[in-house]
Amino acid sequence: MKLPSTHRVTALLVKEVAELRRNRMALVPVVLLAVFSVALPLIISLAVPIVAGEPLSSDEEFIRAIRRSGLLLDAPELSREGTIQAFIFQQFLLMQVLIPVTGAMAFAGYSLIGEKQGRTLEPLLATPLTTTELLIAKGLGAMLPSLAIMFAALGAYVVLIAWLAEPHVLHAVVNARALLIMFALAPTAALVALQMAVLVSSRVNDPRTAQQFGALLILPLTVLFVAQLNGAFPLTEPLIVFLTAVLAGAWVLLVILGVALFNREAILTRWK
Amino acid sequence: MIETSRLTRRFDDRVAVEDLSLRVEPGEIFGLLGPNGAGKTTTLRMLAGLLAPSSGSATVAGIPLQPRRMDDVRTRVGLLTEAPGLWDRLTVRMNLSVYARLYGVPQPGRAVARVLDTFGLTDRADSLAAQLSKGMKQKVAIARALMHDPPVLLLDEPTSGLDPQTARLVRDLVLGLRDAGHTIVISTHNLDEAERVATRIGVLQRRLIAVDTPNALRSRLFGQRVRFVLADAQNLAPIVLRAGARDLQMTEDGFSIAMDHPACDVPCLIRTLVEAGAELRAVIPEQAPLEDVYLTLLEQDENGGGE
Repeated sequence: MKLPSTHRVTALLVKEVAELRRNRMALVPVVLLAVFSVALPLIISLAVPIVAGEPLSSDEEFIRAIRRSGLLLDAPELSREGTIQAFIFQQFLLMQVLIPVTGAMAFAGYSLIGEKQGRTLEPLLATPLTTTELLIAKGLGAMLPSLAIMFAALGAYVVLIAWLAEPHVLHAVVNARALLIMFALAPTAALVALQMAVLVSSRVNDPRTAQQFGALLILPLTVLFVAQLNGAFPLTEPLIVFLTAVLAGAWVLLVILGVALFNREAILTRWK
Repeated sequence: MIETSRLTRRFDDRVAVEDLSLRVEPGEIFGLLGPNGAGKTTTLRMLAGLLAPSSGSATVAGIPLQPRRMDDVRTRVGLLTEAPGLWDRLTVRMNLSVYARLYGVPQPGRAVARVLDTFGLTDRADSLAAQLSKGMKQKVAIARALMHDPPVLLLDEPTSGLDPQTARLVRDLVLGLRDAGHTIVISTHNLDEAERVATRIGVLQRRLIAVDTPNALRSRLFGQRVRFVLADAQNLAPIVLRAGARDLQMTEDGFSIAMDHPACDVPCLIRTLVEAGAELRAVIPEQAPLEDVYLTLLEQDENGGGE
């Protein structure tokens, strides 16, 4: 098997990103999710107490629940209110993982079907581009803009926490766990989602079908988010590493499966 | 440059192309004619390394058409697909630049500038593909197919849907490419175009039912005919028949006859007619339209009388 050519992958990747830049409407759902994932924890931890006229720390049960979760035990410098804010900001960090997953699905689901619908796939397949190169470029083309949006959202999250939250909250939020979530779990989850969407995109005629299959990954992530929010399933560092490894393995399998299932001839002759 | 031997492609139970054997030389334009569904696009896709043959063999630009060599074949072939297939949201330059890089063209920026210049597209280089007219899109698509300077060029309906002026422009481009030594196969429904540009034509009806130059096909099917225009053709028929003419057809202003060797027979007949007192105004070689040739070949094939 020939190794993928980096110059061909890069050529197609540059084209994917350039097309997406000119199709700003496609970015809107992902940007909205990013705004939502940044705004929601800020509203809950900062705006709601102001509107209610009562700090979150007045709820003793909330404080006890945080202590039971085992999180934030190493942050004695936090005030009671700061502890609750840090807990909320930490938990909602997982919501940001949904940004690249949603973006990957939105962009990758359309990728191959879009080429076919625009009648641009045949000239593309007539080049020396191999199936592996095509799938990698399509995958990365969907993932990089999604990750860029996620990191932009993360940057805004950090700045707003530093600006608006109690002292020391940012220090408590940005820890090894947060970094693992953002730099390991999020990219691998996005990879799995987009590879699933690309795979389905190469087998069906309708981008919505591909996106629906990619959406299957949102379900376990949402369960994970809710479970850790209510303390049933705290997302500890070893668990994040384990989940990342499982997702990375799943991605490799999906790439192999995608190459095996990608039938150039069927795409050319049967897709209408 | 292109050689196929009993090339066949099946899709499940349906045979799209059967036992296709042909040879196209460097610097030749080969016109592939045939009705819809005759297998023209499938043939081009096989030659372009997009579809693997079910059986038979072929070499394209010296590379055998085998599953392991398809990438190599695609490197040596430029394919113009039926639709231009440009990325509408990208500029002309970007469209070409991506393909230059996919083909591994050295100094892609320069190569793009060269084809833009060759095709007179420099002033539209930064226009979005979506803003181009159909003819301009087709020009960009041809430029794209030539981006890597392939020795073999396969053109699927290159002038389909173009206005006459743009169609002529595309035809002139194709003739220029032939003169530059490219081996070109054109699939077309446009018989006039095939006659204007193709060195030889092949009529495909799943099988290749005839291959030759347009004139040779005409002669084979209809013989060669010559029309004599006279001031008064009355009473000349017996003289013409005595001179050995075949298939005499009288017309308003003279007659038309079939001849096996017009170069030898026409001067003799002119002499005979003049000696008989005929006032000869013109002698015109008659050519059956290529459409008649094409339709007759298809009809013969349907009746089981093809080659």
